[in-house]
Amino acid sequence: MTHIPPSAHGKAMLEPAYILHHRPYRDSSLLLETFTPGHGRIALIARGARRPKSRLHGLLQPFQPLLASWSMRGELGTLTAVEPRDGDGPRGRALISGFYMNELLMRLLHRHDPHPGLFAVYESALRRLAAPGLSAPGEQSVLRLFELTLLRELGYGLVLDHEITGGDPIRSEEVYDYYPELGPVRTDATAETGAGDYAVRARPVRLHGGSLLALARGELCDAVHLHEAKRLMRTVLDARLGGRPLASRRLFRRGRGREAERVTGATVEGEGRA
Amino acid sequence: MSDSPLIDRLIEALRCLPGVGPKSSQRIAYHLLERNREGARRLAVALQEAADGVGRCGECRTLSENVLCRLCASDKRNAAQLCVVENPVDVQAIEHTTSYQGRYFVLMGHLSPLDGIGPEDIGLDQLEQRFRQGRVSEVILATNPTVEGEATAHYIADMAREHGIRASRIAYGVPFGGELEYVDAGTLSHAIAGRRDI
Repeated sequence: MTHIPPSAHGKAMLEPAYILHHRPYRDSSLLLETFTPGHGRIALIARGARRPKSRLHGLLQPFQPLLASWSMRGELGTLTAVEPRDGDGPRGRALISGFYMNELLMRLLHRHDPHPGLFAVYESALRRLAAPGLSAPGEQSVLRLFELTLLRELGYGLVLDHEITGGDPIRSEEVYDYYPELGPVRTDATAETGAGDYAVRARPVRLHGGSLLALARGELCDAVHLHEAKRLMRTVLDARLGGRPLASRRLFRRGRGREAERVTGATVEGEGRA
Repeated sequence: MSDSPLIDRLIEALRCLPGVGPKSSQRIAYHLLERNREGARRLAVALQEAADGVGRCGECRTLSENVLCRLCASDKRNAAQLCVVENPVDVQAIEHTTSYQGRYFVLMGHLSPLDGIGPEDIGLDQLEQRFRQGRVSEVILATNPTVEGEATAHYIADMAREHGIRASRIAYGVPFGGELEYVDAGTLSHAIAGRRDI
């Protein structure tokens, strides 16, 4: 028996929601993995949503802002009403970044674990991805800041403002070794402070203080900062994902390809991890 | 439960049909046995032959019992135009209702990273092969107007562009004979974004 928190029971009326993923359920229904601010990630059944004449077809799509009502009994809820909410989702190539965020939420969020702050950041990330003429660096920056908030909400916030051995503030021109479970250590201090012991467990990411500060400010625009932030976030996320790679990274290969690859840090086969 | 294992097995087997639950499968089984044994035999033979004999067309991946399907084998079709669809039934829909004279490529699905369905799973390596041969000059992306269908269309459009092939996406909008008031917001905003000069 898994323990179900009290919030897992009862009804909700027209709460903001996004569908992260949907799959067929029985003959004519859909099972919706739904993300809400007050109840976190929940699984809802939309009865009859796959019937040819269902009015829900256009509505129950990922990235469409919704207001959803449901009743919950145990693990599974039933969608009782749904309405569109104002706002645009990504289109075209930016959809892949949207799938990437959805996959992260599916993999890392537990059900019935509310994260209102993360919901707001997810929503504003979708809106920024929907902006016409978004540049590739702009898209990368949206994803990095989303990843950062996701990790913080899950209790794995990154230390970005001070060095962990002596507590000195991060200086932008200095070079640091970032240990995924710990934080940044000045490269010349690694040996003498004994932080080197941790290197056996997790290999650090070497980067400039400036990249850490830019990430902390939420202002990633410099190419070096973007690149280093990508390597850092990828290493930290991979540790949380337990070795199973993200399928959506495979799609960042084409067209705007070379640039898009750098967006989520998808590597070309054989490139290996730094 | 009847006392006949053969009937039970038939009822159980019929439940693989879409939309058929225990009640319907029982009704169908008794109907066939009581009233239409000849039809039941014909159905059994047809199912057996189709399940064994139908494979995939080597060119377009649609269901076919020959190496090439009728459309790919025909020399009347324009080989320079290629229409990409998700399912074999979509080919039938386009064939019945439009005057499209080009060829097809059937994905048998769409990209869906959260289900682990990537480019190779829907034959995009084979499609790229086709682009490389250089006979296709225009690709028409007729994947479904869903988020996954849209992402698939853009992925293929990028592939086409790398090979210097023109890519277009089927238009979507208000259904013919429909009324604006009853059209959902997503469709309406696509229709406005994709408006055309008249």
